[in-house]
Amino acid sequence: MSNVNPELVELFRTKAAVVGAKVVEAASMAEAARYVADVCASKDPCELLADEPDAEQGPLGPNKVPTRVKRIVAAPDLDAAAFGALAGDCEAKGFACIREGLRKHLAGIDVGVAQAVLGVADSGTCMVNSDDEETRLATMISEISVLILHKSAIRKDLPSIAADLRAQQSTGKPSYTAFITGPSRTADIERVSAIGVHGPLELHIILLED
Amino acid sequence: MHEAPKTLSSYREELDKALDDSFLRKTLDTFAVAYKANREAVFQQVNERDLIAKIAAAKDNAAQHMDELYEQFKREAEKRGVVVHRAATAAEANEIIARIAKENDVKKVVKSKSMTAEETQLNLRLEQDGLIVDETDLGEWIIQLRHEGPSHMVMPAIHLSRYQVADDFSKATGVKQDSDIQRLVKVARVQLRRKFIAADMGISGANFAVAETGAIATVTNEGNARMVTTLPRVHVALVGLDKLIPTLDEALNALLVLPRNATAQMLTSYVSWMDGAGPCASSPTGKKIMHVVFLDNGRSALAKDPLFSQVLRCVRCGACANVCPVFRLVGGHKMGYIYIGAIGLILTYFFHGRERAKVLAQNCVGCEACKNICAGGIDLPRLIREIRSRLNEEEGTPAEAALLSAVMKNRKMFHSLLKFAKFAQLPSTGGSQFQRHLPAIFLGKHGYKALPAIAAKSFRDRWKSIKPNLPNPRYRVALFAGCAQDFVYPEQLEACVKLLAAHNVDVEFPLEQSCCGLPLEMMGQRKTSIEVARQNIRAFDAGKYDAIITLCASCGSHLKHSYPHILEGTSGEAQRVNAFAGKIMDFSSFVHDVLGLTADDFVNKGEKVTYHASCHLCRGLGVKDAPRDLIRAAGEYLPSEEEEVCCGFGGTYSMKFPEISAQLLEKKLANVEATGATRLVVDCPGCIMQLRGGAEKKGSPLKVTHISELLAENMKR
Repeated sequence: MSNVNPELVELFRTKAAVVGAKVVEAASMAEAARYVADVCASKDPCELLADEPDAEQGPLGPNKVPTRVKRIVAAPDLDAAAFGALAGDCEAKGFACIREGLRKHLAGIDVGVAQAVLGVADSGTCMVNSDDEETRLATMISEISVLILHKSAIRKDLPSIAADLRAQQSTGKPSYTAFITGPSRTADIERVSAIGVHGPLELHIILLED
Repeated sequence: MHEAPKTLSSYREELDKALDDSFLRKTLDTFAVAYKANREAVFQQVNERDLIAKIAAAKDNAAQHMDELYEQFKREAEKRGVVVHRAATAAEANEIIARIAKENDVKKVVKSKSMTAEETQLNLRLEQDGLIVDETDLGEWIIQLRHEGPSHMVMPAIHLSRYQVADDFSKATGVKQDSDIQRLVKVARVQLRRKFIAADMGISGANFAVAETGAIATVTNEGNARMVTTLPRVHVALVGLDKLIPTLDEALNALLVLPRNATAQMLTSYVSWMDGAGPCASSPTGKKIMHVVFLDNGRSALAKDPLFSQVLRCVRCGACANVCPVFRLVGGHKMGYIYIGAIGLILTYFFHGRERAKVLAQNCVGCEACKNICAGGIDLPRLIREIRSRLNEEEGTPAEAALLSAVMKNRKMFHSLLKFAKFAQLPSTGGSQFQRHLPAIFLGKHGYKALPAIAAKSFRDRWKSIKPNLPNPRYRVALFAGCAQDFVYPEQLEACVKLLAAHNVDVEFPLEQSCCGLPLEMMGQRKTSIEVARQNIRAFDAGKYDAIITLCASCGSHLKHSYPHILEGTSGEAQRVNAFAGKIMDFSSFVHDVLGLTADDFVNKGEKVTYHASCHLCRGLGVKDAPRDLIRAAGEYLPSEEEEVCCGFGGTYSMKFPEISAQLLEKKLANVEATGATRLVVDCPGCIMQLRGGAEKKGSPLKVTHISELLAENMKR
């Protein structure tokens, strides 16, 4: 608990909620995994936005496209132990749990899990290392995007994360870093706010104790 | 795609049509009010002025080192597998991108929003090669389906209703679509996901190009830029050279302002930092094919221009349109060519040429609302005036501007003409305060307000008889009258003299003073404007006075802030210019801040008074509290909605664009009437001319006066 600043955690929670993210807490990775499996179980079936020949199709969804029968959770960047826990929870509920091959499911998956490198309290933002294409896709093509953020990794504001962002871009390899603040949104029609135009319909952030 | 207006008359016809678009009017009205409140709220946790100053300094510095930053970016990006190009012109950039498409056997292209690609008209070029190009930003996709250009830099389809979008989507999908907005957004979700998957190449813009790491960043809400830069095997970013910055720190700092200014968000949903050609499973090599094409198109020349280089500070937030009272009336298609709003008027001149800019550049009322909120602190109204001046130099001066210039060069001639005008107008005024029957030139479109008559006796002719004679004055001030008060409203100055004398302030009125020169600047007459300015500075011995007081906010802000600019390097008397400008003070500030008058100094009869904050007072001179405190001291102050929005006068603007001026006036008077006040006070005779004329024309009993008159009438004796 040494590096956790409760005020920053509270501020992060408030600001993330303002932009429509759902913030929950978990004491351990195992608890986080259970939360993900529960979220997947209680959501509406994922709509297939494009053709996916091998997918078993259910009834039409609200947007008049077929839905996915076997639910998919993707968690490409979890370590073996955490992925194992999640896969076990998913299997028990009859969901597929994958960590690669997301391009086969570009029509849409149910839940995508990724870890945040850090959080920015002032704006409720998560910084996600998505150099790996699978991780990036997990945060893009899922109907519910779940980000796991350690409480101790919450910083105050954007200027204070310059060094961390620089570190992402100084590995000698190409990188792709995302700041994610709430779900995908638009106000392009009559300035009316609408969620989920391209990416996730929901963003959940699991604040993890250290 | 719309064309830029070619003549003032055809432009005015287009503006008329826009003014009749009730959906557009209502949408932009609601937006203007909501934006202001939301923006204020979202800036509370940061120091706005400080951040803007930092962005300005950082961007200025970047512009001065554009070539080095480009080289550094290229080195860093190439290390990470990116091919970097530099295009001198829009056509060259388009050719490079068309070639990349050909080399990679591209058939289908998806694009995320890029104003730079709009600037180069990239889609047209790619379509010539038979490529299928789909916009994926919702707003951009809508306008692409309609074959239109964006009407706002951030909200490209703000001019369209849900019903129009439903029709367009029905056509595009072949299925009748509901007009429910949430459903329409999902139509785009389904349709565009398929396009992302099928595309061979993605084209994005960039908000930042970071030299230290060779990274580009996009700032978006929808997430389409992430799809565009991830799914296809080829990614091309088209980036203006002005987006180059040295380090990530400048980008992070700018991110504190850009979303706040653009959409009143703390941060957009996504900021993506792409640094190099990473893994890409759809590419035959397993690696993304990534190109960054930098566009010059006049930017490097701009960087060398001592005045206009500040244009490169623009971060494309669109806020200058959001607060522009003219944009609010006519929308972006009439307020720019490709780039929209105040910055659009300027960029059109530099990126798309004089022919497209010359009429558009006239459509700025000069209210300074944009200057006040620009993320880069760009002095937009001044640059627009400078462009008019350049246009006149390049194209020759229009007849009316030349005539004005010729007359104003000679103060005596100018003042004699004004005096002569009072005789010439007699048949039309019948001797009243207004011109009852307008002279022919003001017929038709100008009929929305009654025009004032020239006073029977000007202030300068009354001066001898009213000059105070005080043995031991507390302060010694000089009056700068300005034409409107000297010749049309001398009673406003008389009220001022009466109040000041009663508080033992000696007043002088140097007779050699002339017009401040702002009308000349508005018409692009720089040479004469300099002559007039020098004449005024000679007329005042600034060292003799505690202050030089003006009751005209427009004169005041021009004398104080523009004189040092326009006289820079021309007179060799910088000290004298600065001494003069330093002494300029508006009437309300002098009475409130210097004399310290309070409720104790007035007989408050409870008169219901509301206020119009003149653009050049509240923004030009930054004076906000003084007049409001004084109104409270002398009457019952009833604040009006949108008190700081322009009344539509804008000096010569109201003659060039009477339709727009009339609409602004109508809105202002409606807000004033809603307060229930019986008197409206103002700090500027120009606004009084507009507002009193509008009230008279409507037959409203509202009394419109200068604040000096309210105070003089109610002072304790």
